[in-house]
Amino acid sequence: MSNENHQTSHGKALTATIIVIALILVGGFTYELGRRAGIKEASGGKATSQSVQSSAGSKDGMKRVGILQYVSHPALDQIHKGVVDELKKEGFVEGKNIQIFDQNGQADQSKLATMSEQLVNKKSDVLVGIATPAAQALANATTTTPIVLGAVTDPVAAGLVHDMKAPGKNITGVSDQPPVAAEIKLGKQLIPQAKTVGMLYASTEVNSKSQVETASKAAEALGLKVEKFPVPSTNEIAQTVQVMSDKCDFIYTPLDNTIANAMPTVTEEANKKGRPVINSVDTMVKQGGLATIGVNQYQLGIQTGKMAAQILKGKGKPATMPVYTFSTGDTIINKEQAQHFGITIPADLQKNAKLVTTEVGKQ
Amino acid sequence: MIISSIGQGMLWSMLGLGIFMTYRILGFPDMTTEGSFPLGGAVCVAAITAGVNPFLATLLGVLAGMCAGLVTGLLYTKGKIPVVLAGILVMSALNSVMLFVMKSPNLSLLNLPKIQDVFIPLNLPTNYDTVFIGLLAVAIVIGLMSLFFNTEFGQAYIATGDNESMAKSLGIHTERMTNVGLMISNGLIALSGALISQHDGYADVSKGVGTIVIGLSSIIIGEVLFGELSFFQRMLATVVGSIIYQLLILLVIRLGFDTTYLKFFSAVVLSLCMLIPQFKRALHLTTGFEKYFKKNDVVESSGKANA
Repeated sequence: MSNENHQTSHGKALTATIIVIALILVGGFTYELGRRAGIKEASGGKATSQSVQSSAGSKDGMKRVGILQYVSHPALDQIHKGVVDELKKEGFVEGKNIQIFDQNGQADQSKLATMSEQLVNKKSDVLVGIATPAAQALANATTTTPIVLGAVTDPVAAGLVHDMKAPGKNITGVSDQPPVAAEIKLGKQLIPQAKTVGMLYASTEVNSKSQVETASKAAEALGLKVEKFPVPSTNEIAQTVQVMSDKCDFIYTPLDNTIANAMPTVTEEANKKGRPVINSVDTMVKQGGLATIGVNQYQLGIQTGKMAAQILKGKGKPATMPVYTFSTGDTIINKEQAQHFGITIPADLQKNAKLVTTEVGKQ
Repeated sequence: MIISSIGQGMLWSMLGLGIFMTYRILGFPDMTTEGSFPLGGAVCVAAITAGVNPFLATLLGVLAGMCAGLVTGLLYTKGKIPVVLAGILVMSALNSVMLFVMKSPNLSLLNLPKIQDVFIPLNLPTNYDTVFIGLLAVAIVIGLMSLFFNTEFGQAYIATGDNESMAKSLGIHTERMTNVGLMISNGLIALSGALISQHDGYADVSKGVGTIVIGLSSIIIGEVLFGELSFFQRMLATVVGSIIYQLLILLVIRLGFDTTYLKFFSAVVLSLCMLIPQFKRALHLTTGFEKYFKKNDVVESSGKANA
């Protein structure tokens, strides 16, 4: 066989493929230009996010508080801030009568165990675990030191407490289970013509799955068709959202760390196709989501801090302190995004809702 | 959507070309990839946040990747640490470097300038900014790589990969070649990371997870589909392979498989691609491409049948 001929033929196949790709590109380009002549498309408003720097702890003092945060993103950082602020309000001034030890796992689950052990070894009087993996790591490290949960959606399913009302062991805290059903209802209210809702969530997060199940039931009860789109990591989000945008009238995201991290991509891709995103967290609405009925993350932190303070003051024991769950939330609507999608906010919502704008700026 | 995938494929192809430099030419798997990819993004995004021009920021990302490659190279050549281990060491260390650079695991770029903003005045259709950035980057990179491989130095580099002891006996500094190869390779990978981060609008420390698979896939798809090629064509085939990989991912999502198992499906698709030559051999089949060229190229197809 002639090697040279062999090479040429494959070279031709390569050239042919490149030509096909080039044709698709040129074809798409001319098609878009032609279409644009018809429709004047509003350019996609781009969402923004802002990381809130968590405050670091200092030394000296009587009581010790160890805080383990799973990962930094705006929602969790707000909780952290709430905890520290509320402790201060309760009279625990950092550096004076309290020492706060901060640990942040930065999403690396293999690090959380060591961090928890470290916090226990510092002889903390109270441990605060922000987000489920962190709380679980703390729970693995100690069965005696009181642990206060911040932002754990389902403490029973996560194996942290036996019962929401009477936790029984050394763990209690605040559940951040959002009013999922109400959020879906809000979506339907804002986008009445919607027939299909797409659920975008990380396949690696247990919390998201249970929320999506609840949300799906709620959506089906409202006559909406549900399409689920779990993603393995942030790298697949852009394409998943592109696919979703073709199949769904609006996108719903539960309380989910992975999606929260990639919210800029989600809104950017969804905006291109004119698909609103209904979220579960206020910070995500500020990153370009359309609306949520959210438990304010800072409030969540405050509540967590309150419980920690109670334990520090000896006024309560985790075993008998019920897990706190928010029964209501604020309706939060991003008016910029509503405008972008041409949505008129119903009068009754307009009255009660908190209107926000995309933070940091717009495209 | 297809356009967007093609554009993304071009951005990811820099990663494939980088891995091509080490995996295919020098013949070793460089695990630094999974660290230098997000590092490129992290440095680039952090620089942009600090007010640096996006083009310069991208270049800084490339430089950071080259430094990472150099460290791996020195650990391997001077420190005698096995290359896979050296790569893994650098990769995991880079995680902390990124956290240090970004001061957060995740840094957003929205409302900040990006490299594709230069196309805003042209008012291009959606996603074409990515395509043009991709084309530009691919053209520059392949151009520079072609130039490099045609120099005496580049030839010595290829010789090192072909047969290290023979290259040594010819007076080639093989250690230097390895270091340079790792630097260029990781520079390209970081470039890909920087471009992808700007496309996605944020940098994330965990963005590198699984990238080595994406890079290898593009090389392998290119090789399997197009067979033996000249050096220049092999680089083009890697770019095309990268585009095809992105399209395959799009297809898998599009077909409505449960995306929880996306990695499994992409592995299946990739394995099938890699099995094509075996099937062809076993069943004496020809692919559509060969059928198409049969008319013009009788010698080749008969040669194939006898093979």
